[in-house]
Amino acid sequence: MATEITAPMAGKIIEVKVKVGDSVQEDDELFTLEAMKMEMPIVAPAAGTVKEIKVEAGDAVEGDQVLAILE
Amino acid sequence: MWPYFKKMTPLGKPLTEAQIKKSEESVRQIREVERDLAQRIEKVKNAGLPAEQLNARGEWTVYQRLEYLVDPGTWCPLHTLFDPMDEESGTTGVVDGIGKISGKWAVIIGFDNKVWAGAWVAGQAENILRVTDLAKRLHVPLVWLVNCSGVKLPEQEKVYANRRGNGTPFYRHAELEKLGIPVLAGIWGTNPAGGGYQGISPTYLIAHKNANIAVGGGGIVSGMSPKGYFDEEGAEQIIEATRKFKEAPPGRVEIHYGATGFFREVYDTEEGVLDALKKHMSEMPAYNPRFFRVAEPAEPRFPPEEIERIVPFNQKASYSFEEVLARLTDNSEHMEFRPDYGPEVYTGLAKVDGYLVGIIGNRQGFMPKGYPEYAPYPGIGGKLYRQGLIKMNEFVTLCGRDRIPIIWFQDTTGIDVGDYAEKAELLALGQALIYSIEQTDIPMMLVVLRKGTAAAHYIMGGPNANNHNAFTLGTPTTEIYVMHGETAAVATYARRLVKEKDAGRPLQPIIDKMNELARHYYEKSRPAYCAKMGFVDEIVSFADIRKYMVAFTGCVYQNPKSFCPHHQMILPRVIKG
Repeated sequence: MATEITAPMAGKIIEVKVKVGDSVQEDDELFTLEAMKMEMPIVAPAAGTVKEIKVEAGDAVEGDQVLAILE
Repeated sequence: MWPYFKKMTPLGKPLTEAQIKKSEESVRQIREVERDLAQRIEKVKNAGLPAEQLNARGEWTVYQRLEYLVDPGTWCPLHTLFDPMDEESGTTGVVDGIGKISGKWAVIIGFDNKVWAGAWVAGQAENILRVTDLAKRLHVPLVWLVNCSGVKLPEQEKVYANRRGNGTPFYRHAELEKLGIPVLAGIWGTNPAGGGYQGISPTYLIAHKNANIAVGGGGIVSGMSPKGYFDEEGAEQIIEATRKFKEAPPGRVEIHYGATGFFREVYDTEEGVLDALKKHMSEMPAYNPRFFRVAEPAEPRFPPEEIERIVPFNQKASYSFEEVLARLTDNSEHMEFRPDYGPEVYTGLAKVDGYLVGIIGNRQGFMPKGYPEYAPYPGIGGKLYRQGLIKMNEFVTLCGRDRIPIIWFQDTTGIDVGDYAEKAELLALGQALIYSIEQTDIPMMLVVLRKGTAAAHYIMGGPNANNHNAFTLGTPTTEIYVMHGETAAVATYARRLVKEKDAGRPLQPIIDKMNELARHYYEKSRPAYCAKMGFVDEIVSFADIRKYMVAFTGCVYQNPKSFCPHHQMILPRVIKG
């Protein structure tokens, strides 16, 4: 089952911590988002494999924008 | 009540290899700050005459006296770097902290007899006020090591007068005595004028054989110049008078032990005076810790040293407050109050050294979707929203009712702003929290883990809570300012930028000023600056926070002014439901 990883709020992706094909565990950090002067981790909601990454470091993103798809 | 407290909910997880690796750079930066602080502390300890010089004339330094007096492993220094008026020695001329003497907690302060022979110097009155406040908040004995040469005369205008000047401590001693808090004093050396009042104002005076206390010292007794100016003849008279009083200064042991009896005891040696203080402390009233403990003391299951791997040096990076707390509370256990409400703030009960304490701390990171419920934007940790403010108000009020001391942990960027926040009543709810704190009459301690910012720094048990905040600690990652320097630069220069742009003028001069302001904010918010100015009472390493928590709770439960029987507490039942 595919899971969309979305940005919880508007901000800037400052680090992409995984690549397509990586296996991740629940709570593994996928991205670091900077918003409102804070850096916050975006973590995997469950274990899976990274199927697609839709952003790169430096991208400005909107709230709820899809950042990656886990399978 | 043992089912409530003996075994609480476990908290925390061991650090992972990935966390340890990720924290390496942060730990390096934290250690760098600690090295800088250690150098500054060393400089303070070496201020004034070398210890050897005092020892050669048969005197101990204040540090040697403290070493002998305080129970090993219990000393929690405070105000080490406090020097708000830039005294030329780099100190306030007093050394203070909390420690145990003969197994009982006391607030302890002594004149640094290496610095101007223990004179009253600039910034000292404020330091002593904080110390007398501390004894009042914690309701434990105040122990003085008096060795005070009086006002540093060339700078009397910075020392002597004013509402919070060096005369204030004597009123504070009287206030403590009125409240039933004893002030014990060991007295050494020559203590004229202000030094005399430093000697006479405590409750019980124990003197060294060479000590003297007097309304005025030899210098004053020698007299003023009758001519209104100084000349050769007058100088000769002064020399003669001074020689006489140097041999026999006023207020010696033969006067104040032999005649007045102000000195209750006199000893020939340094050890004799300090042993007498120990003896009196051993006889001070104190509850046996068992009387108020809710469980056997236990160390946290995870070491406090690991906190430096959890709280990032990078002020923007988030972390789990619960993981910090798990490294500070007995057995890493807690009872969380309203976990389903106000998610930006942690509130709960925990044990420290077997005693019950209330804990309040900012959480970091994203808030759950839909929070804050009153606004269309997402919430973020470190900020305070409506529910968090209401929850803290409730928790503080219940802690007051149950007589449970509170330990606050700040890492806050402030209260939410804008019209949504105004409609959500945050302005009033912040002030309501100050009211809630004020009406509790319980002692509180604050740790500024990282950011102490905006009004949130005030309302979350900040140092401004004069009647409650016993002391405030900073850490190597502490920053305290009204707002972030970049925010301040924008707030200050945004309109000017527009004006310059519209006028077709270059923007660079304004940009330079903005960068300068941001840098100024950074430099004036660093840990060493916070300690020097008294924004915090001491900067401690993360590993030492628990030691101060143990001292704080030990003091609070040693001689409490009031208490609530465990079986009549409401807060644990509210949590249990």
